[in-house]
Amino acid sequence: MKEIFTSIRRTPYQSLAAFMILFFTLFMSTAILIALSFLYGLLHYVETRPQVTVYFQTSVQENEIFKLRNNLMNTNKIESIKYVSKDDAYKIYKELNKENPLLLEMVSSDILPASLEIFAKNPTDLPEIANYLKKQSGVDEVNFQKDIVDKLLTLTDLLRKTTIIFFIFLIFLSILVLLTTTLFKIALKKDEIELMRLLGATNFYIKKPFLLESTFFGLTASLGSFLIILGLLFYLSSFLNTYLKGIPDLTLSLYVAQITVWPLNMTFLSLIFLVPLLFGLGIAIFSTLLAIQKYLKI
Amino acid sequence: MIIFEKVSKKFPIGTTALEDVSFQIQPKEFVFLVGQSGAGKTTILKLLLRELLPTKGDITVDEIRISTKKFKEISTLRRKIGIIFQDFKVLFDKNIFENIALSLQILGINQSLISDAVKESLHLVGLSKKEDVFPSQLSAGELQRIAIARAIVGDRDIILADEPTGNLDPQTTWDIMKIFKKLEGKKTIIIATHNTDVVNSFQKRVISLKNGKIIKDLEKGEYDI
Repeated sequence: MKEIFTSIRRTPYQSLAAFMILFFTLFMSTAILIALSFLYGLLHYVETRPQVTVYFQTSVQENEIFKLRNNLMNTNKIESIKYVSKDDAYKIYKELNKENPLLLEMVSSDILPASLEIFAKNPTDLPEIANYLKKQSGVDEVNFQKDIVDKLLTLTDLLRKTTIIFFIFLIFLSILVLLTTTLFKIALKKDEIELMRLLGATNFYIKKPFLLESTFFGLTASLGSFLIILGLLFYLSSFLNTYLKGIPDLTLSLYVAQITVWPLNMTFLSLIFLVPLLFGLGIAIFSTLLAIQKYLKI
Repeated sequence: MIIFEKVSKKFPIGTTALEDVSFQIQPKEFVFLVGQSGAGKTTILKLLLRELLPTKGDITVDEIRISTKKFKEISTLRRKIGIIFQDFKVLFDKNIFENIALSLQILGINQSLISDAVKESLHLVGLSKKEDVFPSQLSAGELQRIAIARAIVGDRDIILADEPTGNLDPQTTWDIMKIFKKLEGKKTIIIATHNTDVVNSFQKRVISLKNGKIIKDLEKGEYDI
């Protein structure tokens, strides 16, 4: 630790540049990681809602609805279909308006339409399914969330692509700055390194202070950015509570597990601490190794 | 034991620094390498430190051939050797204690033992009360004492000194040589110098070099080129 602080004291501006670029990279990466997690969580949420809801005229018989349901299932494009009868619709209506007796008095199950809530295997089939349903007799109205899903898909896709380009730029910039500052520090310690070599220092012994310093920068930059992100998340939590009202949770499906993004929880917070930490350490150590590999050959 | 067998060193620009040089140095022997500038004294020291590879011939240190390209244990070899330079090579941003402790840290000596070892070596070179002082506050003679303390600390078997008194006045030169005298019989000491008085007064083995060749190798020799 003493060696690290001595080195920082000797080259304050270079150390600050190394820290700041790492901090900026990690802060931006974490912010984008969170934004993408929320967007994917939102996309996942919308995708798990009934994607097409078809309402039938009140005169249509149940067996006709079931026949249509069977036809849809046979298309192989459907994940599942939920039938909501007139009675079910009335129960939902009652639940939604339980605090308004006047509205409950005015409605009976006869006037509410039966419906099918349809989940497609692939969101791209939604327009075709909706068009098919519109042509069927007895269909009163077809609602589907194509627009919302499409907009979210476009937004997440755009953000993902922009993020990749931005990430590459940030990584390149960080490596360049860290490489330059390490090379400067090596040049500054040229005499000491030469003496250490003559006194029998191993490669690792000479490299160790540079690696320790970059590890220190990686750790402090990731910790600093995490604390600021955490503060921002808690500051924005009341806004998010209002904005995401009605959505019980946002989850993110990863290959190995499903992670709850919202409401904030320890697992997600640990993830947004650990991923940038490893990322920051990776960049810092890689850049330092690159510099010392090139200029500290014995 | 150090063995040079028909060692030659030619530099790419065509200069011949050493030509067919052969000698043996026994453990704990005290040897002067003498000769005018460019005679090949420093090249011998650099070959021993494995800073250079010979163009021809073999160099063996403690039965290990260090003159092959395959030899990779350079740091292990250098940890046996303490080196003293004409220009001292002390680190000006570290105090005297830290300068000497560096040698021990490189050897992997336990931190708790370093303090005593540094104090002992400073006592030997007569700078017991200077451990917190920075090199910029010391004279040339004192800096060379620091370099000697750094070379002898940590039980290094071989001491190589390249013109250790080259930058010093006569009185300081004798003070420094007294320290080498104290080390006689305890370590293998090889001193490259062209200081006639020093060599003549010590009456030790003298290997005389001229134009990269050994012209004399006498047990109790004198500076005579």
